[in-house]
Formats: sequence, structure tokens, C-alpha cells
Amino acid sequence: MSNTATQQSFMQRNQFLIRRLHSLTGILPIGVFLIAHLVTNSSLAWGWFALKGRHQGEGMSVSEGGVQYFAHEVTWINTQVPHLFLIEVTLWLAIAFHCILGFYYATGGKGNLQHYKHQDNFRYSLQRWSGYFGIFFIFYHIATLRWGWTFLIPEGTAWSHEYSASTLAAALQGSTEGWTAAGLFVSLFYLLGVSLLVFHFANGLWTAAITWGLTVSEHAQKKWGYVCAALGAGLMLAAWSALGSAMLLDYDTARAVEASILDGHSAPAIDHNPAEHALSDEVTLEANASDPEG
Amino acid sequence: MGAAQASIIGSEERKANRKAAVAGRSVIFKIKRCDGPGKPWRWESFKVPTEPGSNVISSLNWIASNPVTVDGKETTPVVWDSNCLEEVCGACTMVINGRVRQSCSCLVDEYAPREGDEIVLEPMSKFPVIRDLWVDRSRMFDALQRVKAWVPIDGTYNLGAGPQESHDHQQMRYALSECMTCGCCLDACPQFAEEADPKNWDKNFIGPQAISQARLFNEHGTGKRLKDERMDTLMGPDGIQNCGNAQNCVKVCPKGIPLTESIAAIGRSATVHSVKKFFTSK
Repeated sequence: MSNTATQQSFMQRNQFLIRRLHSLTGILPIGVFLIAHLVTNSSLAWGWFALKGRHQGEGMSVSEGGVQYFAHEVTWINTQVPHLFLIEVTLWLAIAFHCILGFYYATGGKGNLQHYKHQDNFRYSLQRWSGYFGIFFIFYHIATLRWGWTFLIPEGTAWSHEYSASTLAAALQGSTEGWTAAGLFVSLFYLLGVSLLVFHFANGLWTAAITWGLTVSEHAQKKWGYVCAALGAGLMLAAWSALGSAMLLDYDTARAVEASILDGHSAPAIDHNPAEHALSDEVTLEANASDPEG
Repeated sequence: MGAAQASIIGSEERKANRKAAVAGRSVIFKIKRCDGPGKPWRWESFKVPTEPGSNVISSLNWIASNPVTVDGKETTPVVWDSNCLEEVCGACTMVINGRVRQSCSCLVDEYAPREGDEIVLEPMSKFPVIRDLWVDRSRMFDALQRVKAWVPIDGTYNLGAGPQESHDHQQMRYALSECMTCGCCLDACPQFAEEADPKNWDKNFIGPQAISQARLFNEHGTGKRLKDERMDTLMGPDGIQNCGNAQNCVKVCPKGIPLTESIAAIGRSATVHSVKKFFTSK
């Protein structure tokens, strides 16, 4: 009993600090990760154009080029990024902290949109609903595509790093042979989840500037609002193009591209500068870090 | 200060209603009634004849002298609070058709332009009801005490002339000083919870009204001597951090006080104060 009393008073005493940490974790690391994650995933849509710019990927279709680029990115993340497990655990902890406190804070308010129909008030309510839904979506997303809880995926196609694009397509479409009703449900769930989370981040970035006292005047808040809206629109485009590409992707085509990558090279298919091979591993790593394509 | 008032939803519609208002009509006032604290509430409707320029208070006056409901049932006169009748004291604040505002400045023509149109009156939702439309707003004055919303000048010797103030700064503070403690911002705030027990007032979000007044006195040349103490209160439990940025406060403020700017300014002071405290507190 007294234990819970001290616990409560600890939360009460440090309420300000904890709320500021809640605000901070939404941007760093979660928001920064979200940007990197969506940009990487959207390479399924723009990867072919990037390869084209480097005079690579001849004879490939747009979706094959996307798979080639995306698979390379995923391989790079899983083989070249140092301390990946530490980064992941940090992210999970930050998300858990942000979710639990966010849920607690959101249930403390009482929305009144039916009487005060203002745009800001609508965003206040949507920020909370997108948070509730987002917790659910992120859990499903990580459980199925990271922790391998295949019983939650229609037909149980396990996602793998080696076959990242094809298994993703199968998870979204419901089977390796094309669309199923369950797949449609999963895809719509993803579309809704990722859209709400992009909104949640963009709007959270806007309110964080008020919380920390960066945008004081109404005019500054408005201008920062445009910046956040533009960022949100860009991320939304990245999210939808990634999702759209994965939904349109043919499983067998993607599988063939991935197999050729795994076949021919232990490293991804995209040619590195031969001079780089002569350098030490560490230098190669740095070169890769600055530009994954070498 | 017109900008914020113009942003109140339906101002265009209200203007059109005023033009279209039918002379000599009667309108229905549906009123949420309660006989006292802890007593059950009920709806009662009254049919009230309109006059040119009649407002909610004049209609309540008419009901007080004719306390008969539309069903012909004799009832007690409706109780409400009012004072200045020109939207500067805040006493007659109530919820009209779902939105909080002052009833003295609420023209019947704008809300009920046709025969038999209905106006719904409710007491403010976040303050304890004393009777009918009359609420106890002392929680706001308690909040002003908590943030020490005053200038410390009491002492045993003459402090001399106060510091000089620039014109722009004075204009900024003037806008904040217009607060009449009416409670609109708190009633419309989704983060501000109803709480009847004074013992629990400091365990709930302090609200935009006190935050803005703290800023007013933080910005005062002599009043800023208490800034650290005010910031400690505002960064304490259920202080500034409980704001959810719904920004309803600034939209319902009848004085057009830039409440969200005050919240952001106090947020900035809180950022600075917490860093300062981290490195210098004993």
C-alpha cells in the first residue's frame, strides 16, 4: 500500500519531466526512425529510378528494380548497421514508454468535439485515437514482421530478411499466390495504421513546438504548422507508395530477383567500386554508411 | 481583439439570423435545472415572447416574472448569476446551445430567428452548480492564488518607482490583463476536469486562465520577482504539462486573449527554468 503511494508520488513529483520525455521520445528516436523506415520502404516504389540514374538494373521492370533496391537496403541494414540489436531495443523501449504514458495521458482528457468543432480540437481528438490505434498496429506489425508470430499472418508466410520484398507482399496480399480476403483486411489495416501514425507524428511535432516553447506567437504556430503539414504529406506519400508497391508486387517476380541476389553474390548484386574492395572492412563500412549504394 | 471573436463558429450564420429574425415571435427556452448541490437535475421549457434586441438575460427576467413551463405547470423562477450586463464581469457565463459564452451579450435574434425556435441553456459544465444556471467559480480564484497572480509591493519601506515599460510590451500585457475570470476557456478545455471538492483542485489541470495570468505577472517589472515561485507551481503536478493543445480556450475567450500564446510562452519559461534548476538548484 505504502509502496504504491510512493510510486504515485514519484510520478506526481516528476510529472513535468516525464511529460517532456514523452514529448521528446516521440521525436527522438521514434519520429526519426519513422522517417528512415518509410523512406527505406518507399524505395520499393522509387528504387528502379535510382538504379536507372546509376545506369544499373538494365532489363528490369519498375517493380523488379524496386525489389532489387529495397532488398539491398534491407541487407545493408541487417549486415552493416552496427549495434542493430541495441538500436532495436532502444526503439522498443522508447515506443513502450511513449505508448504507455500516452495512453495514460489520453484517458485523462475528455474530448468535446461535438460542441467545439474546431480544426485544432479535431486534431486533439485524432491525436488520441491515432495513438490508441497506433499501439495496436505497431504491435501487430512488429509481432508479425519482426518477431515472426506467423500465426497472426494469413497463411502464415514468415517474413525473412533474405526475401524481404516477396514475403512482405505475401503477408499483405494474404498468400503467395495473390490476393485473399484476409490479405485485403491486413492491407487495409496497414493503410489505416500507417496513415494515422504519420498524422500522429506530424501533429505531435507541431504540438511539441508549443510544449517546449519554440513557437510562441500564433503566427509562428501557423508557420510551423505548414512545415509539419508538408513533412506529414511527404511521409504520407512515402508510406502510401511503399504500401502500394508491396500490394501490387507479384510474389514470384520478387522471389526471382531476390534469389538472383542471393545466388550470385554473398553481398548484394549492386556493384561496388572495385577500389573499395581493396580497402579494409572498416573503411568499406564507412563508405557504405554514407551511401548504401557505394 | 475582434479576430478571435470572429472565429467563434457560426458568426456568419448568427449575422444572417439577426437579419432574418421575425418580429413579435415567441421562442422556447429549454433550461437545465437543479435545485441545489447534489440534487438531481431536470429539463424545463418556457415559451418567451421576444422584443427588439432581447437577449438571454432579458428572457430569463421574463421567465422570473412568469415561471410557467410550456406544459402550463407553475414552477420556481430560474436562478442565474449576472452583474455588469456588458460582457466585462464574466458572472453570467453559461452554456448556450452547447457552447460556453456570456448570456448578457447573447442576442435571441441570433440564436432563434423564427417562431418556436429553441435556445438551450445549461450551467457551465466544469464548475459546481449552486442552483439552476448559477455556478461556483471560486476554483479559478484558488488557481490565481496558487500561481501568485499579483505584484509583490507590500513591505515596510517605500520601494520607489517601478521599472519603465516599453509601449509594445505594455500592449502585450494589456491584452492579458483583460481576463475577467469568466471560465469560458476552462469549460471548453478537454483537459480541464470537473471537480467539486476544493481539496482536489490542485490535483487537476490548472487550466489556461491561471497560466495566462501567471504570464501577465511574470512579465510585470516588479511582478517578475515571484516568477520562480510561479514556475515551480506551473511545473508541479497538473501544471502546464497537462495542456493537450486542443486550442479551444483561445477560440471561446470572449476577450480574445491569446491564451495559446501564453501557454507556449510559459512552456518556454518552463524549459528555461527546468534547465536552470537542474544546474543551479541546491
